[in-house]
Order: sequence, then structure tokens, then C-alpha cells
Amino acid sequence: MSNTWRPRIVVFQCQYSLFSAADRDWMDTQLPSNVKLIKVPCSGRISPLFVLNAIQGGADGVLINGCVPEKCHFKEGNLGARRQLDELRSFLSHLGMEQERIRFAWIDVTERGRIQRELASLEETLQVLGHSERLATRALQLQGEAA
Amino acid sequence: MNQLTRAIRQEAVRLLTEDLVDVVIGFQAGTLALKTQPAFITRPEEAERLVHNGFGQNNLASYVTRRPPQERIGIVCRGCESRALRVLVSEHQHAREDLYLIGVPCAGIIDWHKIQHQAELEPEQFANVSRAVEEDDEVVITLAGKEHRFARADVIHDSCQRCADPNPVGADVVLGDTVPGVSSEQVWASVLDFEDLASEERYAYFVQESERCIRCYACREACPMCYCTECFVDHNFPRWLESMVTPSGTQAWHIVRAFHQTGRCASCGACERACPMDIKMTYLTDKLNYDMLQQYGFEIGASDDAKPPFAAFTLDDQNRFVR
Repeated sequence: MSNTWRPRIVVFQCQYSLFSAADRDWMDTQLPSNVKLIKVPCSGRISPLFVLNAIQGGADGVLINGCVPEKCHFKEGNLGARRQLDELRSFLSHLGMEQERIRFAWIDVTERGRIQRELASLEETLQVLGHSERLATRALQLQGEAA
Repeated sequence: MNQLTRAIRQEAVRLLTEDLVDVVIGFQAGTLALKTQPAFITRPEEAERLVHNGFGQNNLASYVTRRPPQERIGIVCRGCESRALRVLVSEHQHAREDLYLIGVPCAGIIDWHKIQHQAELEPEQFANVSRAVEEDDEVVITLAGKEHRFARADVIHDSCQRCADPNPVGADVVLGDTVPGVSSEQVWASVLDFEDLASEERYAYFVQESERCIRCYACREACPMCYCTECFVDHNFPRWLESMVTPSGTQAWHIVRAFHQTGRCASCGACERACPMDIKMTYLTDKLNYDMLQQYGFEIGASDDAKPPFAAFTLDDQNRFVR
């Protein structure tokens, strides 16, 4: 593995979780090329299937960010997401996948600039773990037909 | 004819003649000696087809969601089937007042896979078993005039060996004597043993099991909880997972099929018994059930009004991984 390798990261982002305009602008325009951004109406919208799809689609890590408890735009979507995604992560690690690859961050309205720090920290973890080999990747991705 | 068979027939006749139910679901003798098959009894005179033995591989609760919604159903249920019915009722799949549960304490379901392995029979020979009976603690099968005997405890299904409660819960009538279950250490021993393995070994086991899958979906059809009219594997827009028999497709199927049973699986093992490839699957759902018990104190089928754990999130949930 060369030094230039950068892990592929998929970010699922609740559209209400970034309060600062600077952060939103950074996510929209200046995201590094190894990060794919998927905006969802609420972290409660994120089905475990989304996360599994990202991993099987070749992502080395997944970052999910949502609003802190009691600040959810839809009252309690993030609490539902916590139960389900927490269990999914525990289940995937039971099957032998490194659980550090999935991360869930609750970002408060006052935490300007935290998303960049979270991404950097996840990328650092993934640099150590290397390319994800647990859980088979979709055949099309292996042949390099779709990135 | 054993005592329980007679009692079940009497109860079925009573329910149908008094017009308390429209159909009684139970087991009848099948074409193969080792596989008792489901029976749907609608007239009292048909009730003599019903039998009760350890060869009923199916979970009868899975037929409730396939019957018309307003039908009044009498159903012969063992411990796992009664738990599955409780979950189905809590998910509003059938009204409880339209169900009549004929509870039967269960001594364990005999796994034909195990008999086949222990007798070292080829599958085609196995279809020629002419007679299979239970004699006290033994199972006797007759093949080409020769008798094979097995200790019952060795050939009951894995899920039955770790069944905490073989007695039906919330049944309208219970026939037969109660059967003791195993202790909670024995119930979860297999999950904890698997957890103790290194992650490479766990992944290797998962790969070895999931990649034999031929995607026949017999596990889904056998499962009482898989009642969706359109399963996620059948979606083609979006296509959630590869529908071919590829490593990624079979892995995703095994992961998500199990994950959809979180806090719902009655641990009957019908999926494993239905599998033509003899793939182990209960280690997945058992882990999820174990987590639900540890995290949220949720036990499947423990009460009539408990909300499913994924529908009952609270602010005080444990924060295991959110930062």
C-alpha cells in the first residue's frame, strides 16, 4: 500500500445537523475527493441497508452524523437511529468486521468545525486499519466498472 | 396413537363443531416418514388427520399471516410457536381474539439433518426411510428393513437444545404436562462462545456458512416473522444487494435477513431446518436476541404488551457508540 492511499469514506448527514453556514458550505463545495456525501432528511432515515450498501459498495469507513438528543427536527428520529445503527454496528463486529469503521457523531448547533475534525479523525483511524477486506464487495466494484 | 395426538384431535373437533374457529392448523403425517407436514382442518371429521410428534419441522405460526385476515384460527403451538404468535399479534398481523392457541409443551424437534449425518446416509437413501417413530428417549428409523436407533437428546435441533421455555406462553388451553427448559447460561452459551473467538475466526465462519447459500429463500418462507409482501431482496429499484449467488449478495442476505429479526426472532430454528444447504443461521439471530436482552431487557414473547425494541427507543438508551 503506497503512502498516497486514502480511505474511501461515506458520510450520511442529517440535513439539520450542521448549523454553521461555513460548515455547510465546506461540506457542499470543498469535500475531499475520497469522501462521498449523502444528505438525508434526518438520521432516523438512515436504514441499516444504507450503511451495508456503502460498505459493500467499497467504502472503507462510514460516518453518520445527526443532531443531539432532544434537538432533533423530527423530535426523536435520532433516538430511533441510535438503537438501530448501534445494533447494526455491534452485529457487524460480531461477524468479524472492524467496528471502528462505522462512526456515529451527534453534532450540536454550537460545534462549529467539528465535522472536519470528525472526518480527519476517522480518516486517521482508517489509515491504520487499511483497506476494508471484511464483507465482500459487490462484483461490479471489483471489476472497476463503477467507483 | 399417543395421548397428545388424541387430545389435540378432541380439541380440534370441539372447536370446529362449536364453531369457535374456521380452521385448525396442526400437523399431519407426510409423504416422508421423517417429515410431518402442516395440516389445515376445516371440518370436524377431518380432525383425525392431526398428529403430534417430534418430526414437525415447520413453525406453524408462519401460516397465520398467509390466511385471510378475518379468519378465526385455532393453532396447535409449541413454545416457540406461541412466542412467535405473540410477536405477530403485537405487530398487528392477526387479532388475538381471532386466534385460539392450543398449547402443546414440546420435547424438542427432531432434526433430520442430524439423523442423516449420524446414520451416514446419502440424501437419496434418506428419502427411502419407511418408518420413523419415537420410543421414550429414542428415535427409531427403519430403512430397507433395518432399524437405526438414536438417542433423542442427540438428534433434536440445536435451537431446541438451548430452548429456555418449551412450554407455550399465553395459550388458551394447554394439553399435556409441562417440560423443563434449560438454564439461561445454556441458552446463551453458544453466543458467548462465538463472541470469544478472534474476529478473523468469526469472519471465516460467517464466510464459510453464508457462501454456501444458493439463494432459494427457504429460510424466509419458513420464518413466521418474514411476512412482508415484498422482501428487500426482491426490490429492483433500488437494488439493495446483488441478487446473484455472489459472495457479497449472500453475505448481505444473511446479514439483513437476520437483522430484520432483531427483537422478533422466536428462536424456533425453522430457518435452519428448512435450509437445503445445511447452513447455520441461528448464531446470527441469537446474537441479536442476546443484545436486545442485555441492552434493553427485552425478551421475545415474555409479555403481551411489550413494544418491539426498535419501536420503543428512549432518551436514556445506552450510548455505546455515538460520540
